[in-house]
Amino acid sequence: MNKKQKRQLIRIILAVVLVAGALFSEMLVGIPKTLTTVLYFAAYITVGLETVQKAARNIFRGQVFDENFLMALATVGAIILGEMTEANAVMIFYQIGELFESCAVDKSRKSISELMDIRPDYANVLREGIEVKLDPYEVKIGDIIIVKPGEKIPMDGRVIEGRTSVDTAALTGEAEPRAAEVGDEVISGCINMTGVIQVQVTKEFEESTVSKILNLVENATSKKANVEKFITKFARVYTPLVCMSALIIAVIPPLVSGGQEFSVWIYRALTFLVISCPCALVISVPLSFFGGIGGAGKLGVLIKGSNYLEALARVETVVFDKTGTLTTGSFEIEEIIAEEAYTKEQLLELTAYAESYSHHPISQSIIAVYGKKTEPDRITAVKEIAGRGVEALIRFRNKEITVHVGNEKMMKDIGIFEVPISENTIVYVAVEGKFAGYITFADKVKKDGPETIRKLKKIGVRRTVMLTGDRKRTAEKVASELGIDRVSAELLPQDKVREIEELLAQKNEKRSVVFVGDGINDAPVLARADVGVAMGGLGSDAAIEAADIVIMTDEPSRLASAIAIAKKTTGIARQNVIFALAIKFAVLALAVAGVASMWAAIFADVGVAVLAILNSIRALNVSKFE
Amino acid sequence: MKKNFKLENLDCANCAAKMEAAINKIDGVSAVISFMTSRLTLEAEDAYFEEAVETAQKAISKVEPDCLIVR
Repeated sequence: MNKKQKRQLIRIILAVVLVAGALFSEMLVGIPKTLTTVLYFAAYITVGLETVQKAARNIFRGQVFDENFLMALATVGAIILGEMTEANAVMIFYQIGELFESCAVDKSRKSISELMDIRPDYANVLREGIEVKLDPYEVKIGDIIIVKPGEKIPMDGRVIEGRTSVDTAALTGEAEPRAAEVGDEVISGCINMTGVIQVQVTKEFEESTVSKILNLVENATSKKANVEKFITKFARVYTPLVCMSALIIAVIPPLVSGGQEFSVWIYRALTFLVISCPCALVISVPLSFFGGIGGAGKLGVLIKGSNYLEALARVETVVFDKTGTLTTGSFEIEEIIAEEAYTKEQLLELTAYAESYSHHPISQSIIAVYGKKTEPDRITAVKEIAGRGVEALIRFRNKEITVHVGNEKMMKDIGIFEVPISENTIVYVAVEGKFAGYITFADKVKKDGPETIRKLKKIGVRRTVMLTGDRKRTAEKVASELGIDRVSAELLPQDKVREIEELLAQKNEKRSVVFVGDGINDAPVLARADVGVAMGGLGSDAAIEAADIVIMTDEPSRLASAIAIAKKTTGIARQNVIFALAIKFAVLALAVAGVASMWAAIFADVGVAVLAILNSIRALNVSKFE
Repeated sequence: MKKNFKLENLDCANCAAKMEAAINKIDGVSAVISFMTSRLTLEAEDAYFEEAVETAQKAISKVEPDCLIVR
């Protein structure tokens, strides 16, 4: 509790004591009535003076229907009617509600800032061989920083000396530390655990991962959900409407009936005023969304706005990109089959030489398995043929030979029409125009892939779709392994956009299509879907920028967790709205009928607020979705 | 230009909603106030931006006199 809250608490306690004293003095015989009245007034001044002052000040500023005014009017009215106990009760409970609200808001703000406690305070920079402690903002690209065990890595960079393991839990929610050696990239916001490392800075602080994430979280609640927009709009109408009704109730019935006393109706009107404050409603919705976004953050899922959380809860179809999302994206050699003229090793050698200038993941994998360094002077000429493969002139057994490495189309181009087929990705090799063998690759399904699809189905996703540029046979094998409903294979990037548009046209209007990709080549698709989710966002700026939701780890199952959190959060927000409105309207109706006393009104206002806030705080608890 | 400001002494959620509505009534200015993070995102033409912040502050003060835009 801060100072202001403590002061408020002391006032409330003091007022309760004074009111208790007043009630006690009423029961005793022989105590003068004036003492009771004095005690009541003392209590009211203790707890309500500030509210009355604020109300008076705000009227002069043209803010008539503010909560201070409503409470002041209701309580002063009650005092005039002689209902001293109730006037004090309204004020005391109103203050308790306010105190509770501000404590709850503080609590959830704090739990979020703890969660995002990744902002580094300083960086140890080497300047002319001497280590200096600088503000992270002052460090430039190319500077060398020293990070000791236990310190946060202040900005993104590459390790140039030392080895260590880094704890990425604050960013990814992943408990397992990662190893970092010379040449490895390290990401700001992670904690260095075991060894001292020297890091060459590759990004300024403002461009570093940690800044981007903090920025994103801080801005998340400014993209508001529809429920939230609805409730603020509703509040603008609700308060004036209830106040007008109060006025009508106070004046019209006594005039019409003539017989009934004014004071009865004024009491009912005052009851209205107590209920008319919308603050509970207005706070409970963003509070739940804030909790949901924070909770998802704990699991390494960054959600860029309350609106996306809402859309995620309404998910109907989940569309996955294959490579890098559902599969690991690293192509592991499965089989090397050589024709009789060559050994497996020779075939691998030829392929590695031909592919040695290519950056394709398949080429990288071949070169890695070959293991030996390729001698550049053995390669005379290399030509990449887009959509086909590579043609290279290589010195082999002291002869210069032409090697073709590529797909089926490439083989057809050089006159080889019959090649073996496989359901895996396959690369064919031909030497001097003659078929020499092939290598097959397995793009492994991620460990939690099948579990992801199962979980998605369980939480109500109607359809799962996989899009890929890969061959149909490979795609279908992966899809059946995972249990995916529909596959579209052999797609070019623009085809993926078209597929998404088709799915968007087919869906139920109230539900949403979620696309999950690795964020590298699929920015247009991410943008086109109702919700774009990028996987493995750690360290990838493009992904963080293009997506609406970023999953920091490489686990697709986190999507299921995020959807579960989204459903829980929107559920809580809806419960709050319905519950608060139902109680308020019920008590309003009862008040008109003369059944509800001011005590019921106090419950409808403060009681509902407290319950709604407690309910909202539940959104922060996400441990069961891990 | 779009800029993000911290708001000091923003005490009530309904007030935040009122401020947001009031600022959005100013010509050429659009604003979002997030009560939970106590932040104001203000968008206006570069040339009038300073002026826009001034007017926004006035609109805010009218709702809650203690609430200040931190610049």
